[in-house]
Amino acid sequence: MSELFPLKQVMGFVFSLILTAVALSVYFFNLSFSTGMIILLVTAFLQAGLQLVVFMHAGETEDKGAIYTNVYYGLIIALMTIFGTLLVLVWDM
Amino acid sequence: MKMDHSLPLEYSTEENKLKILGFWIFLGAEIMLFATLFATYFTLVGRTAGGPTGAGIFEITPVLIETLLLLTSSFTVGLGIHAMRLGRKKAMIGFFITTLLLGLAFIGVEIYEFVHYVHVGAGLQTSAFTSILLTTLGTHGIHVTIGLFWGLFIVLQVWKRGLTPQTANKSFIFSLYWHFLDIIWIFIFSFIYLKGMM
Amino acid sequence: MDFFERFAVPHPSFAIYASMVAIGLTVVAVLAGLTYFKKWGYLWREWLTTVDHKRIGIMYLISALLMLFRGGVDAIMMRAQLSAPDLKLLDAQHYNEIFTTHGIVMILFMAMPFIMFFMNFVIPLQIGARDVAFPRLNALSFWLFFMGAMLFNISFIIGGSPDAGWTSYFPLAGNEFSTSVGTNYYMIAIQIAGIGTLMTGINFITTILKMRAPGMTLLKMPMFTWSAFIANVIIVFAFPVLAVLLAMGTLDRQFGTNFFTMDNGGMDMLWANIFWVWGHPEVYILILPAFGLYSEIISTFARRNLYGYKSMVGSMVLISLLSFLVWAHHFFTMGQGALTNSIFSITTMAIAVPTGVKIFNWLLTLRKGKIVITTPMLYSLLFIPLFTLGGVTGVMLAMSAADYQYHNTMFLVAHFHNVIIPGVVFAMLAGLTYYWPKMFGFMLNERIGKWTAWLLSIGFILSFMPMYITGLDGQARRMFTYSESTGFGPLNMVSFIGAGIMAIGFVLIVYNIYYSTRYASRNISNDPWDARTLEWATHTPVPEYNFAITPQVNSIEAFWDMKKKGHVIFKGEYEKIHMPNNSGIPFIMSCIFFVWGFSFVFSLWIPVIVTTIGIFVCMALRSFENDHGRYISVEEIEETETRLRGA
Repeated sequence: MSELFPLKQVMGFVFSLILTAVALSVYFFNLSFSTGMIILLVTAFLQAGLQLVVFMHAGETEDKGAIYTNVYYGLIIALMTIFGTLLVLVWDM
Repeated sequence: MKMDHSLPLEYSTEENKLKILGFWIFLGAEIMLFATLFATYFTLVGRTAGGPTGAGIFEITPVLIETLLLLTSSFTVGLGIHAMRLGRKKAMIGFFITTLLLGLAFIGVEIYEFVHYVHVGAGLQTSAFTSILLTTLGTHGIHVTIGLFWGLFIVLQVWKRGLTPQTANKSFIFSLYWHFLDIIWIFIFSFIYLKGMM
Repeated sequence: MDFFERFAVPHPSFAIYASMVAIGLTVVAVLAGLTYFKKWGYLWREWLTTVDHKRIGIMYLISALLMLFRGGVDAIMMRAQLSAPDLKLLDAQHYNEIFTTHGIVMILFMAMPFIMFFMNFVIPLQIGARDVAFPRLNALSFWLFFMGAMLFNISFIIGGSPDAGWTSYFPLAGNEFSTSVGTNYYMIAIQIAGIGTLMTGINFITTILKMRAPGMTLLKMPMFTWSAFIANVIIVFAFPVLAVLLAMGTLDRQFGTNFFTMDNGGMDMLWANIFWVWGHPEVYILILPAFGLYSEIISTFARRNLYGYKSMVGSMVLISLLSFLVWAHHFFTMGQGALTNSIFSITTMAIAVPTGVKIFNWLLTLRKGKIVITTPMLYSLLFIPLFTLGGVTGVMLAMSAADYQYHNTMFLVAHFHNVIIPGVVFAMLAGLTYYWPKMFGFMLNERIGKWTAWLLSIGFILSFMPMYITGLDGQARRMFTYSESTGFGPLNMVSFIGAGIMAIGFVLIVYNIYYSTRYASRNISNDPWDARTLEWATHTPVPEYNFAITPQVNSIEAFWDMKKKGHVIFKGEYEKIHMPNNSGIPFIMSCIFFVWGFSFVFSLWIPVIVTTIGIFVCMALRSFENDHGRYISVEEIEETETRLRGA
């Protein structure tokens, strides 16, 4: 039975629960906006990275380079789009 | 069909490798799809037109339940792939069915949540904020719903045809999809709900 | 009768009724012809169900040429209406509909499929592959594009054309100001075609990354493959934005949401913003493959290798990132602050740098080359100065302060036609002439071809240069007429004459195809242009498996080095070849998509639900299907090879 529950994935799951609990602190404690956002940004991106590496096996084949380039490229453009849109329509309007 | 036995079954043929890489690229496109929704959400989040705000309608309990359901389902589908690589067909099907049941429960809670929103006067047409809120959540929810049917088909195929290069490949790709939906949910959880309730 | 009234055209004219009759008669004639000549089976087996990248490419080509003429007729009507002050050939409403459909048809249903044609036909041959990574997905991509295009095109006879411009800005495109179903057509038809395009992008990235011939490392890929690769990367990250945008537009128009409305917190500027987040990368999706074609053609007919291969690749990678960083230059006057405008001005000027690098690379390729002026080369040589002119006016427009003068004038119209026509259209025609013998086994007539190139260039200069002047004088775009006192009359007449000359050029292309089909020699080699890359290393016509033996490559210009340096690229014996089976599902599924789209446009929810289920049933069938393809035996390959070599 234990071979069905590899340590790496169990630890990954436990870690993702911990990250969720940390993120929840912004709800339960009265933090400033910037502190809260920093906590959320750190926990969310750590969670995403965790899923990517531990569960999605992103780096296990010879296509590792293509897969990571694809993800990073997507992420960069996504962030450019989100912050660019906010700049145009909210912050500098 | 040339097979390479040094690799897991899902990578064993050239066609399988193509499909896995192709799906990763599709996930790249999905990143942009949700990024556009997030960009719109952050732009419109304050434009409530006197209607309900995020802080006013979000409830921590259902959101937390949804998060735990989806996180656990992401864990179980990962275990399913691990079982598949050990050649444990029954265990794999067990994990996949668990995943789908957790997904179904997630959809159930999400429907409850939507009914609640409409009940407190935050329908799709109320304001720019509610439009983009429900559209973003709905897009994720539709992805999960499609995943439920897709996963069911894959379970049926594995059950009937056993673990072949084809079924293993489909199962692995499904697991990628499912983990990806979990990642998107993490961002929804953090930057729509928690930020809204902060 | 109430039910049928919704299908009526809200603003009819004699021309629209005449088109209805003409379309009806054409459809009847095609159906009758197919039945009379007993071609239904042939059509189904060889074309509708095909998954062969070469045939799919040719279907893209036919669609693109058809749409070129549809968009061209729109253009001529607009130029005719503006040729003199206060003309009444078209009224304001028809003029609105025509400039809207002209833009969409030309960009999404002409230029895009033309590029898809080149990618489909050329890339697998150029990288030495048997087919694309996902042949059946490729068929689905084509049919979704085709159904989207057809759905868009029936709008003007059923229910009314979209009339809010190809950018379809809200609030004009909202329910309040666009009351007909025209804008619904815009949202749904482009959505369907866009899904197809996105899948093409995924397909070709996978193909190029994983299916290159042994030895062809990334930095040994031919330049067209590189340019198409980058274009597909942009497709994959830009088209989801369009999908979300159109979905939100649909929700606003048909489900009462408030994304872009004027009240309840909606923000109309959001549409413009997201539209251009997709729209600007789209420009580079069009131009990069065109640059790739020019690179192939210029190095072939300068008889030397491309100058600055690595800087070409580097500049395209840079363009792919920068193209996502410049979108706000399309609306400098919208009201955002000076900081934003300055940032986007700078990124816009920055993107001119890698483009300039490419221009210099072509010029330096020509230097010391032994130039042979063929039709494709003539287009390329005309492209360089004309396109540079468009690039320079682009940098003028990039200055946000000056843009307040240029914005929404004919100056802008002149600028983007100045980059698109010499940049994209000339490349498409050059590429068409260049690859024609590989497709059909005979060459297009050079004399007519060169006449066409000159007519198009002269026509282009006459049509669009005057617009720079009237634009600076303040002639607004999208205005259906102007008064005599503005003084715009004579220059607009020059434009009209130019448009007429261009029309003659396009008709000459059709005549050339007809003439060459009848009279051109069939006795040509596999390599009539003395070209440099792998697609010319196989037979003409190309056998269905492309290469009997997979080529092995160790240089950028593999075929040239085989011819001149004696490299051996075909090593080994014939082996049986694995090929995918044909399938009717892509076509049937796309037909269901068409009905889905049509019902959606008219908010007929019951058919929408039924067809949605139908689409998912098709996907489920595909999931359960067990199709392992088929094999071509060694004997069959030997037989084909002997026949093709003998001929």
